[in-house]
Amino acid sequence: MMQQVTLNGHAYIRGSSRRIPARLEIAKHGGETWLRVLPETEAELSCARLLDIAIDPALGRAARKLTFQDGTVFETTDHAGFAFLDSHTHGARLHRLERFGPHLIGFTLACLAGAFLLWRYGLDILAALAVAMTPAVLVEQIDRGTMQTIDYVMAEPSQLSHEERDRALGIYQAVIAELPEAERSARDFQLLFRHMPEVGPNAFALPGGTMVMTDALLREFPSEDVIAAILGHEIAHVVEEHGLRRLYRSLGAYVLIALLAGDTGPMLEDVLLEGNALLSLSYSRTQETAADEFGLALSHQAGFDPVGLKVFFKALESEMGSGSEWRSSHPSHSARIEAIDAFIETLPAR
Amino acid sequence: MSLEQTNQFRQFEFSGNAKEWFGIWIVNLLLSIVTVGVYSAWAKVRTKKYFYNNTSVEGRNFDYHATGGQILKGRLIVIAALVVFQITITVLPIAGLILVLALLVGYPWLLTRAMMFNARQSSFSNVRFNFVGTYGRAAMVYLVYPILCLLTLYTTAPILDRTIKRFSINNHKLGLAGFDMDAPISAFYKAAGLALLWIVVVFVAAIFFFGFSFGALANMDALVEDDPSVFIAMMAAFYAVFFAGIIPAGFIYQALTRNAIYNGTTVEGGHKLRSNIGAGKLLWIALSNMVVVVCTLGLMLPWAQVRMTQYLADHTGVELGGSLDDFIGTQHEATTALGDAYSDIEGIDVGLPI
Repeated sequence: MMQQVTLNGHAYIRGSSRRIPARLEIAKHGGETWLRVLPETEAELSCARLLDIAIDPALGRAARKLTFQDGTVFETTDHAGFAFLDSHTHGARLHRLERFGPHLIGFTLACLAGAFLLWRYGLDILAALAVAMTPAVLVEQIDRGTMQTIDYVMAEPSQLSHEERDRALGIYQAVIAELPEAERSARDFQLLFRHMPEVGPNAFALPGGTMVMTDALLREFPSEDVIAAILGHEIAHVVEEHGLRRLYRSLGAYVLIALLAGDTGPMLEDVLLEGNALLSLSYSRTQETAADEFGLALSHQAGFDPVGLKVFFKALESEMGSGSEWRSSHPSHSARIEAIDAFIETLPAR
Repeated sequence: MSLEQTNQFRQFEFSGNAKEWFGIWIVNLLLSIVTVGVYSAWAKVRTKKYFYNNTSVEGRNFDYHATGGQILKGRLIVIAALVVFQITITVLPIAGLILVLALLVGYPWLLTRAMMFNARQSSFSNVRFNFVGTYGRAAMVYLVYPILCLLTLYTTAPILDRTIKRFSINNHKLGLAGFDMDAPISAFYKAAGLALLWIVVVFVAAIFFFGFSFGALANMDALVEDDPSVFIAMMAAFYAVFFAGIIPAGFIYQALTRNAIYNGTTVEGGHKLRSNIGAGKLLWIALSNMVVVVCTLGLMLPWAQVRMTQYLADHTGVELGGSLDDFIGTQHEATTALGDAYSDIEGIDVGLPI
C-alpha cells in the first residue's frame, strides 16, 4: 500500500537563519514512513525515517516543527495535514486536554480544590515526613545553636536564687513525670532559667526539648499552678514537634508558591504570599490552642489546678489588653481563658 | 499610533489568543498542583514555548528549547541547598553567616548562569542566542555598583539601571551577531524624574484629600488600641497611595525606558530595534489587568498576559539593515540549569532582551 502526503511550509539548515520555502513529502516504503524536505528552488535537503525525526509536541496553534538528525528543521502551520503524524508524537493527549471546552470548568474547580487540599493537608504531610527524616543529632544541635544565639543577643544569666530555681525544677519534675516513658526518653528534656529584660514574663521551648523560663515569669507569677500549666504547654510544643513542623511548613509553602508563581503572575504571587503569612499565623494559633489543651491535661494529671493558667492569662489581659487575633501568632487572651473554662468543665468533680 | 512604515520596517507579531492560552495554563496549573510542584518544570517550558512560538518577525518565530527534565534537576538542587541553608542558619548561626557571604559571592555567578542558560535555550529563526557576560563584570554590576548607588543616596539609580540593562543586552548574541545598546543617560533620568513627579503629585493629593498626617502614623499604636477600625483605615489609605502612586510610577518609568532602550539598540548586521509604547496606555492595560485578575481570583490571568504581550508586540519592531536570512548559529555546550532554577525560585527576571 502506498500513501503519500505533502505539507507546505519552510525549512532551515542547521545553524542558519535562512528561511527556505519548502514542502515535506511523507511516504510509506516497505512498512516504514519516510519524510523528505524539498525546497522550492533547490535540491532535496534531507530525507529520513519517521523514527529518526524529533517532532515537537503540539502547542496551541503554533507552527509544528520537525528536526532531522542532520539538523534540518521543517516548520508548517498546516495543522490538518500534520495530524497524520500526531499518532507518532507524544504529547497529543496533553494537547487534547488543553483545548478550550467545557471540561476546563472542571479543571478550574479541580485546581481550586487541589490548592486547598495541598495547603490544608499536603503541606502538613510533607512537614511530618521532613520531621521524621530529621536526625535527632540535628535537632539537638538546633537547641544548642539557638541557645548560643539567644545568650549572645538577648539573654543574661538568671538572677534567681537557688531556692526559687529548685522550686520551679520540682514542679517541672512533677509535670514531666506524667509524660509516658517512651515520650520522655525520646528527647533530652531540660529546663533553663534566663534573665531576659526585653521579653517580660515568658517561656519558650526548642524542638530538642530545651525549655527556657524568664526570671520575670517566676517573679511575677510564683503560683505553682501557673508554672505547672505553662511548663505543660511548653512540653506539649516539644512532644508534638510544633517548631520543626512550622519551619518545614513555611519553607514548603514558600517554595511551592515560588514554583507556581510562573503560572499565577507576579501580582497574584504577592497576594498568595501575604495570604500565606496570615494563614501560617492561624496555623500557629491552632498549635498554641493544642498546646494549651495538652499542657492543662498534663499539669492536671500531676495534681495542679488548671485554674492557674486562667489566672495567668487574666493578668496578662488586664496588663496588655486583648488585641485582635488575626495578625497575631497566639490566640487572644480572652479566647484562651474561654478554652480553659471549657476544659475545666470536662473534668470530673473532685 | 503606528510605527514608521518604511520598506525596511518589520513589525513584531503576536499570534497567541486568550482562549487557547487559558487551556494550556489551567492544565499546567492543575498538573503542577497534583504533582506537588514537580510538573511546574514542564509547565515553565510550555509557557515559554507558547509565548516564543507565537511571537514572530517576518514569519520567523522565536523558540524555547529547554526540557522539563533539565529544569527539574536544577530546581531540586536549589531546593536541597535552600533546605540545608535554612537548617544551617538555625543550627549553627555562625556557619550560617559564612553561607550568607558565600551566597553573596555566588550571586553574580548564578545570575550569569541563569542568563546563559536562558539565552542558549532560546532561538530566533533557527539560530540560538548566547550570553557572554563574565563573572567579574556581573559582580561589579550586581554587587559593587548598587553599593555605590546607595552611597549617592540613589541619585545615580538611573545610571545603575542603564548599566544593568547594558550588561544584559550587550552580552547577548544571536548566533555570531552581537547586540549593542547605547540609549542616552538623559532618557533614564527623564523617565525617573517623571515617575518621581507622579509620586509627589499623588502624595500631595492624598494629604490634601484625606487629611493624611504623618503625626497620626507616629502614634498609630495608641490609635489602634482605642479603635481597631483605625488600623483598617490606615491600611486602606496606605494601599490607596501605593496603588495610585508607586505602581503607576513604575509603569511610567518602564514605558519610557523601554522605548529608549529599544530605540537605542542595534543588532550586528545593521538591524535597529524600535519601540513606541505609550506610558498612559501601558498603565491602563497593566492596572485594568490587575483589577480583572484579582476580581476573578486569577482566572483571567491568561487573558491579561495575552493582552499585555499583544500590546507590546504591536508597538515593537525592527528596522532591517539587511536580510534576516544572514544570521549564523554557533554551537555551545548546554549549561547547567542551576542559575535558572535559583532565579525562578527567588523571582528574579533574567529574560531575553527582546
